[in-house]
Amino acid sequence: MRLKLFCLLILFFPAAALANLVELKVRPGIQASADYRAGARGKPAVLLLHGFLQTREFRTVATLANSLHDAGYTVLAPTLSLNIPNRMQSLSCEAIHRHSMNEDIIEIARWVNWLKSHGHQHIVLFGHSFGSLQLLAYLDGKPDAAVKAYIGTSLIETRMATPSRPDLIAQLKNQVQRNQTTLVTQSVSLCPRYAAPPADLLSYAVWDQPRTLAAIKNAPVRMQLIMGDADKILGHGWLQALQHIQTPMIIVPGANHFMDAEHEFDLLEHTLGFLQTLPSAP
Amino acid sequence: MMKSSASIPIKQAALAFIVGVLVLVSLIGGFALHEMRNVSHNLTQSSQQAARAEFTSAVERLSGQIRKQATALGRWDETRQQLVISEYYNYWRDQRVYESGMLSRFARVALYDQSGNMLRSSVAINALPARLPVHVAPHLHVSWLSNEAGAITLYYAFPVYSDERRLALLGHGLIRLNYMAELLNQNSFRYTDTTSIKLNLKPGEILPASDLLPNLQLNARSDPEQLRFQTILSRALLALLILLAATALLGFVAHNRLLVRPLRLLSQDIDDMKQGRFEPKPEHAEPMRISELENIHRSLIDYQLQLRELHGSLEHQNREFRSQARHDVLTGCYNRRAYEEDWSRFREEIKTVPQGVAFLLFDCDRFKSINDTYGHAKGDRVLTLIADALVTALRANDRLYRLGGDEFAAILLRTTPAQARQIAQRCQSLLDAKRFSELDINEPISVSIGIAFCAADQVEHIDELPKRADIAMYTAKQPGRNRVALYGDDVERASQTLVASRETSAVFQALASPGMIEMHYQSIRSLPGLEVKYYEALARIRYHDTLILPAAFLPVVSSRRLETSFDLAVLQQVDLDLSSKQLPAGVGVCINLTAQSVSQPEIVSYLLELSRHNSRHPLMIEIAETSLITQVTEASTYLDLLRTSQYRIAMDDFGTGHSPLRYLVDLPVDVIKFDLSLISRLEADDRAAQVVTDFARMMISAGYSLTAEGVETEAALRKVESLGFAHVQGFLLDHPRPLADLVASLNAVTDPT
Repeated sequence: MRLKLFCLLILFFPAAALANLVELKVRPGIQASADYRAGARGKPAVLLLHGFLQTREFRTVATLANSLHDAGYTVLAPTLSLNIPNRMQSLSCEAIHRHSMNEDIIEIARWVNWLKSHGHQHIVLFGHSFGSLQLLAYLDGKPDAAVKAYIGTSLIETRMATPSRPDLIAQLKNQVQRNQTTLVTQSVSLCPRYAAPPADLLSYAVWDQPRTLAAIKNAPVRMQLIMGDADKILGHGWLQALQHIQTPMIIVPGANHFMDAEHEFDLLEHTLGFLQTLPSAP
Repeated sequence: MMKSSASIPIKQAALAFIVGVLVLVSLIGGFALHEMRNVSHNLTQSSQQAARAEFTSAVERLSGQIRKQATALGRWDETRQQLVISEYYNYWRDQRVYESGMLSRFARVALYDQSGNMLRSSVAINALPARLPVHVAPHLHVSWLSNEAGAITLYYAFPVYSDERRLALLGHGLIRLNYMAELLNQNSFRYTDTTSIKLNLKPGEILPASDLLPNLQLNARSDPEQLRFQTILSRALLALLILLAATALLGFVAHNRLLVRPLRLLSQDIDDMKQGRFEPKPEHAEPMRISELENIHRSLIDYQLQLRELHGSLEHQNREFRSQARHDVLTGCYNRRAYEEDWSRFREEIKTVPQGVAFLLFDCDRFKSINDTYGHAKGDRVLTLIADALVTALRANDRLYRLGGDEFAAILLRTTPAQARQIAQRCQSLLDAKRFSELDINEPISVSIGIAFCAADQVEHIDELPKRADIAMYTAKQPGRNRVALYGDDVERASQTLVASRETSAVFQALASPGMIEMHYQSIRSLPGLEVKYYEALARIRYHDTLILPAAFLPVVSSRRLETSFDLAVLQQVDLDLSSKQLPAGVGVCINLTAQSVSQPEIVSYLLELSRHNSRHPLMIEIAETSLITQVTEASTYLDLLRTSQYRIAMDDFGTGHSPLRYLVDLPVDVIKFDLSLISRLEADDRAAQVVTDFARMMISAGYSLTAEGVETEAALRKVESLGFAHVQGFLLDHPRPLADLVASLNAVTDPT
């Protein structure tokens, strides 16, 4: 009996030992952190990215991280720094948003590298909401070869309340060209008063529906979208647009944007289902 | 009026009570005022403590709020971002921190790098220092106060770290706010007088925030409710005192009107009653307002009226009693008590105001016989008629006194001997006119009147008047007199009166002085041998070497009702003689007693004691048949008692009285002594002698033992002996002799040598 208990302790000790806070200096003076939980070796590592201005503590992400880890997957759940040292809190919409999509992509790349540096050569990117878009933007660049698959949950494009998005983009570009750094306040996604420098705002503004659909279409890895048909945050006709490009997509009936309540299980079930279709990690 | 020295008038008592009440109320008021001031002082202290507690609480609350805000700011992601990317620091400082609610609008904040330099500014902004003060320790929250142009400003410095683990210090934050203004702005002080808040901090000086409270001065806010309460209470106390004073004054006035005056009136009435000056007020007098006092007043008046009525009744009754005490019940004239009082008073008056005074003494002749013959009722009626006649005869202001029995007296003031004699004659005339025959009394009834006069120039003899009148009265009673005698009319009358006066004096003196009564003994001899069987003890009074015989002193004894006293004196003398044992043993002794004495307990008692001599000298009691036995039943009882003590009872002087047969029937008589008047008849040869002879024989046949008295001749001796008389006595045999003479003669007979 004592021997069996000792064996169990030895078996679970590495996982327990790997469940720790990971800090990463993403740029001078800016450190970011992530919750890293090591899983089984044969299973891909899942990089879970939170939604717009949230942290890894956000319920949808945190719950899924626990469940995936419980299912034996290595999980890395970073909190994007958004140029805030050791950001621990959700960033307010009204805050000075001194971050950009490019910086987000860089941070994602650094976390992928971190996984790779820790032996994970088989990485699955999992994003929720705007995190799905940021991961998609990462994939739209030059993603690491270790990234094998992408799961986008409640994928949303950068929505901006403006009569003419092209005019806004043009205006922002103009300000950027003229090195104007005055904060621009604009309604972005769920934030009605989003204040950011023109360049940073421009980096998000360019990710409209067409560019997002294009990035999906051109994604270099296996892809799975999990969407809820009761998601009121999505733009009108977004699901139809996704279906139109024949994106692999599971629509969870009745699920909202956050896949909460009983739909947490749907999300987990579909995620695990997708992960199980992937080839085993080396 | 008796007054207790400790008593005080009710007015003073009421005044003292009211003053006491006022003093007490004043003390209570003063005490209440003192207590109110204490309460006020305590309330002030409580308010001061409450104010300090309130202000302390506000300070702690604001400090806590600042500390909380500083802590939140230090941990805020965006704060850390500014210390790394300070491009939009001013926007963050001036707008973002307030929009986010991390800092109150009243406070200003600045961030400093690790070197203590303010971000993106080389000069002080909003009065925040460009450099962090040197006393701010790197990793501590430090707060201090500063007096900036009179405004107390709080600075709160806090560290900002790059991570939650506080490993790397990014810089500092400094919050500044107008502390007092914010304190007053945030708090609504109830107890603290905000205008009194003062911090002892000079401009430019700094003070650790923790030392704020000890250096703070503040006053409590005046509690308007408390002030109002004190004002109301003070006014209430003042009003209460005024009200009580007014009430006490009114009470005093009311007390005076309702109680003091009526009580004083009652007291005055009672004093008047004591002094007899009380007169009930008229009915329409104003009644007292207090019903109980009115009731007392009315009851007092009623009581006084009843008392007065009762007093009148008692006076009337006293007068009645006095009148009854001074009047004779039978005759209605004044009695002896009145006589004694009046005579005493008259004597004093006469000595003061000399005047001629006549003393009249009236005595009914033969009244004893009338009484014995016709009974008491008629005797009383006779006395009443006599009194009526005498009163009618006297002058209007003259008083008639009944001195006792049938003896009356009158004292005539401002008179002359002639007037006195005239009045006496008028009395006689009126008495003569009275028809006593209507009472079936056939004997003439007359009154002897003795008059004594004292002229105005002889008042020193006033005390002699009764005695002189007595002498004159006895003179008037002498046979052949005209029944009115004036003392001192002539020598003959005077000598007689002197004799009478001598006998009277002798009697009274003999009764007062034992030994003056002298017993003479006369033998009673048996027939036919003439052997001495008894000696009859016969009383004599030896007065100034003169021997007064019974014929002279017995009327005095009878008239003065001295029978019992005299007989008692006789018994005492006989007792002495018998106790001397000079008489020969075996010879009896006869003792004469009046009929009145036989029914007197003291006489009977003495006779029973005297019976001890019966063994040596058989004793016999002689009761005169002529004397009146008014209480036959009692006399018979006593005589039976004496017979059981071996006394023999003899009826003396038989044949001279009025009811001899009645006495023989009713009384236990053993011996009948025929009087001299009957014995003398026996010597004649007539029908009277025959009657006596037959009567004697009848008595002897009835069982009586007969004794013949007054036998003075041999013929009489032979006669009585022949008739069967058992005993005889008289001058034929011997004369009464004093005991000494008798004893001497007896001794001479027995011893001829």
